[in-house]
Amino acid sequence: MRSTLQQRLLPLLVPGLILATWFAVTSGDDFTAQVLVPPAAVLDSFNELLASGELADHLRASLSRLLLGFGIGSGLGLGFGILLARSALVNAFAGPFFQAVRQVPSIAFLPMLILLLGVDEGFKLAIVAKAAFFPVALATHDAVKGISKGWLEVAAIYRLSPLRVLFRLILPATVPPVLTGLRLGLTRAWIVLVAAELMAAENGIGQMMEMGRQMFRIDTVMVGVALTGLIGFALDQGVRLAERRLVRWKAV
Amino acid sequence: MNAIIDPRSVQADSAPAVGGLAIRHVHKGFDIDGRKLSVLEDVSLTIAPGQFVSIVGASGCGKSTLLRLIAGLERQDSGDILLNEVPVAGPGLDRGLIFQDHRLFPWLTVEQNVLLALSNSDEAATDKRARVASLLTLVGLDGFAQAFPHQLSGGMAQRAAIARALAPQPQVLLLDEPLGALDALTRLRLQSELQRIWLAQRSTMIMVTHDVDEALFLGDVIVVMQPGRIARILHVPSTHPRDRADPALAPLKAEILSLLHAG
Ligand SMILES: Nc1ncnc2c1ncn2[C@@H]1O[C@H](COP(=O)(O)OP(=O)(O)OP(=O)(O)O)[C@@H](O)[C@H]1O
Ligand SMILES: [Mg+2]
Repeated sequence: MRSTLQQRLLPLLVPGLILATWFAVTSGDDFTAQVLVPPAAVLDSFNELLASGELADHLRASLSRLLLGFGIGSGLGLGFGILLARSALVNAFAGPFFQAVRQVPSIAFLPMLILLLGVDEGFKLAIVAKAAFFPVALATHDAVKGISKGWLEVAAIYRLSPLRVLFRLILPATVPPVLTGLRLGLTRAWIVLVAAELMAAENGIGQMMEMGRQMFRIDTVMVGVALTGLIGFALDQGVRLAERRLVRWKAV
Repeated sequence: MNAIIDPRSVQADSAPAVGGLAIRHVHKGFDIDGRKLSVLEDVSLTIAPGQFVSIVGASGCGKSTLLRLIAGLERQDSGDILLNEVPVAGPGLDRGLIFQDHRLFPWLTVEQNVLLALSNSDEAATDKRARVASLLTLVGLDGFAQAFPHQLSGGMAQRAAIARALAPQPQVLLLDEPLGALDALTRLRLQSELQRIWLAQRSTMIMVTHDVDEALFLGDVIVVMQPGRIARILHVPSTHPRDRADPALAPLKAEILSLLHAG
């Protein structure tokens, strides 16, 4: 009992320390509230944004972009990953290019994409899709490659129907690694989306922060920072939960 | 014990014997870097129904390839492989194959792994599960039906693989160094278990092994291979169940060893 309580409290230690330091520093006179706002001001700002419905609008805008961009990127990543693993031709054509582009951080494409697609929704979806595409494609490729020939021979020996091969072999062998790729893709897509919104957007969490910066509302910026972190954390944990559910058979 | 013995195999004495194999002038090669590597050259072998055949030979001499041809996982370049006088065309449930590595599906429990081998049987689900349970008893895995492969020791996983291979009641069971990865003690125990299973099922069994004592303990017939060919076929005069210390085995062992050294 005691150790589980400790385990639960331990992750809160670091944030708690930071919060305490923050309190301590801002209650003195060393920093003006313009530079380092006290925690209470951030909480007030959060309540204000919540009450006015502004925050909900920003969140809705960001999350719907994330969902759409991630959907496109991960869908393409799944398909491309399978092709890359199964087709020697696709691999010969696109393999090295894929590996090279993968090395470029998504954010480095932002200026180019803005020039190409303008500052509207298009470039944000494109950059989110790109961020999701690569981890998913890579994980899918590795997952499909990882289906051992030995297992396929077992399936042949016992004359399993194609449907059984799919549900008893292909999916169980590939779903866990692909889920890991989806998790990586989702969290990267979120990071890149917020960055893109900081650069150019009508609304969204990133735009809210950028506006706060321009108007010297550091409290608003900090609300955005905290929410970005919490949402990213929640997305990661959500997929992890699904992973654990689906991969109970693995030695952990 | 009675529940375990398959009724079909009990009838084997009265019913026409099945599981006879004829391998005639089989050639098999592989392409490696565009060059043809000949692996089996003019291999011929006749195996009577219900016989236990041990195959020994140096590494790389083509033992696994021969089993894979019989299993239908590979196709010979020329020659015939006949099961009950019918040419083998691809894998079939009349032949089971136990690989050196157990090849259980890690995401399925032991029971599900064995059940998978019964996918094509139209028995009722409860009958299937009852049969799986008795097979697990046969291989000494009572109480492990719901375990996942990673929770088993190497020897237990291999026994689960044996149960899976037995499930469709193959006429011919092919065993490719099934005990190769096990420690000496487990190995001896599983050899006795294999013998017990074979005596109960009386299906044809063909086992590849590097262990000459194991080959002699289990086999009616010992096939000694040298690269690409069968060097000698020896008949073991002693009956089953067999005593490991049977003096009749000693001269055979000496002969096999000298053939292996010559090859
Ligand atoms: N799929 C394949 N492609 C190319 N070469 C192969 C293939 N399978 C087997 N070979 C070659 O055939 C030869 C015989 O292989 P095989 O696996 O039958 O040997 P083995 O007698 O079972 O050896 P071991 O005792 O080490 O298992 C080897 O030289 C091997 O390299
Ligand atoms: Mg081999």
